Amino acid sequence: MSKISAIIIDDEPLAREIIKAYLKSIPQVEVTSECSNGFEGIKAINEFKPDLIFLDVQMPKISGFEMLELLDELPVVIFTTAYDQYALKAFETNAADYLLKPFSEERLKEAISKASLFLSDKKKNSETISKVFEQMDKQQEFLERVVVKNGPKIHIIPSDKILYIEAQDDYVMLYTTEGRFLKQKTMKFFEDHLNPEEFIRIHRSYLVRISEIKQIELFEKDSYRLQVSGGKFLPVSKSGYSRLKEIFQ
Amino acid sequence: MNNPLLILRNFIFYTFIWITFAVIHILFLLNAAGLGFSDAVLDSLVFNVIYLWLGLGLWYPVKYLSIDRNSSFRFAAQHILSAIVSSSLWIGMSLFILFFIFSPDSHLKSFIFQTLAWRILIGIILYVIYTSFYYLYIFYSSYNDKLLKESELRTFAREAELKSLKYQINPHFLFNSLNSISSLTLIDPAKAREMTIKLSEYMRATLSESEKQFHKLSEEIKNLRLYLDIEKVRFGNKFEYVEEFEDSCTGIMIPPMILQPLLENAIKYGVYESLEKVTIKLNCKKENNYLKITVENNYDEDSLSPSGEKIGIRNIKNRLSLIYRQDNLLVVENKRGIFKVNIFIPLGES
Repeated sequence: MSKISAIIIDDEPLAREIIKAYLKSIPQVEVTSECSNGFEGIKAINEFKPDLIFLDVQMPKISGFEMLELLDELPVVIFTTAYDQYALKAFETNAADYLLKPFSEERLKEAISKASLFLSDKKKNSETISKVFEQMDKQQEFLERVVVKNGPKIHIIPSDKILYIEAQDDYVMLYTTEGRFLKQKTMKFFEDHLNPEEFIRIHRSYLVRISEIKQIELFEKDSYRLQVSGGKFLPVSKSGYSRLKEIFQ
Repeated sequence: MNNPLLILRNFIFYTFIWITFAVIHILFLLNAAGLGFSDAVLDSLVFNVIYLWLGLGLWYPVKYLSIDRNSSFRFAAQHILSAIVSSSLWIGMSLFILFFIFSPDSHLKSFIFQTLAWRILIGIILYVIYTSFYYLYIFYSSYNDKLLKESELRTFAREAELKSLKYQINPHFLFNSLNSISSLTLIDPAKAREMTIKLSEYMRATLSESEKQFHKLSEEIKNLRLYLDIEKVRFGNKFEYVEEFEDSCTGIMIPPMILQPLLENAIKYGVYESLEKVTIKLNCKKENNYLKITVENNYDEDSLSPSGEKIGIRNIKNRLSLIYRQDNLLVVENKRGIFKVNIFIPLGES
């Protein structure tokens, strides 16, 4: 059996230490790098292309999940967490493996042997992880921030900086006070996870911050458009117009 | 509810009123009606003693004829009827006893028949006085009851609220600390032992102190240090902690575990979310009539700034206003990357 390369991503040094110590007795797993936050994690994963990562769910700046969302290619993931009811539920319903801190050496070995099944089945691996994402999205209430990658740079956009959102195939374009960012998520996700008191769906392809709406005007016969603070015009659909009428009346 | 006049103390007072009334009655008959002494005494004693007992019985129509439960017409009709019945009963019984037991002379007899209309009138007036008194009594005591119940309910609600706001150990902190200990057993057993002891001390203090209503500021600070020592093991040199306080403050009583959540927030939103070193400052001093406690920390402005009030802070605010019945005892300042919470403990209370 060839060696499994692994990266440990956890913000607490002692939490990394214990994984390393346990792994000493599992020679087929080789730790190539250690990271203390998600930014380092992305860099290291892109650089070392590990087979497996140990990923803490709660980390500074960006969470373990947010980090995974920014990866182009997913390694096999063993999640570690001290206490996170939402994450646990998502793991359990999707049979993803996770380690509850503190954990034993036996439990770690078990997780690694389960993970090796995924190593030979990349498709199943990414399916499981995206199911975990889906479940986490469902459980989440209002979005506080969106993490996006723009080339090598990672941006954390607080949701109150989002002006409007435009659908673009499998992606959405987020227009913010600091420029525009592409994010691989559906329009439906943002519609569900942005506060409906702040955002309104005006069109199949547009979700707009209500306070950014400057004016609504008749565009052509029977069709309307609205202008946002920046001056740009966005199309308004029929159902969008009736929603607008409801809130501005 | 029982007749209030049957309570011994009230009954003595009640009897005394009737004795006074009977004496006035005698004096009146002697002077104004020109009756003889024995006739006057006989008339007064029979009529007054009978009403003394009859009046006690008027409690029942009042008790069973509630104003709320009857239409006003029915209510009035029933009372008129019972006024007539009670007055007739009074005069009938009095006449019966007077004539058949004491067989008075013709002078008294004719006097009584002459004043019969007056006696009926007095009977009705007495009926009105009695029933008014009883109704007032019932109203007053049920009103008091209601007040009592309301204030009991309020205290109960307040206690329940305080209980729900009580500090609880953060499970995330607990499990991460246990994980650190687990790790230390392999790489530094002495340190693992030290951390186990600190964690135990901290948990013991948290469990026992939070049962108290108040404890000394010095107790609170002691516990904060334990907590921060544990976090220091987890986070290494990612933060430093600075304390400043006037010595005269340490003995002041404060509600327990009121600073703990602030430190936890400082760790969670300051240290945890930052990649740089964070300084947490605790400052306690007397200001005007308050003990002013300030907890502040710097944070990374790029990370998501604490939007709105965190639950921990809101809980303390609510606890303080419930305990001291005063608002604005917690003030948050958030500017230029410094997050600051001021707590004001009124002095001279507790």
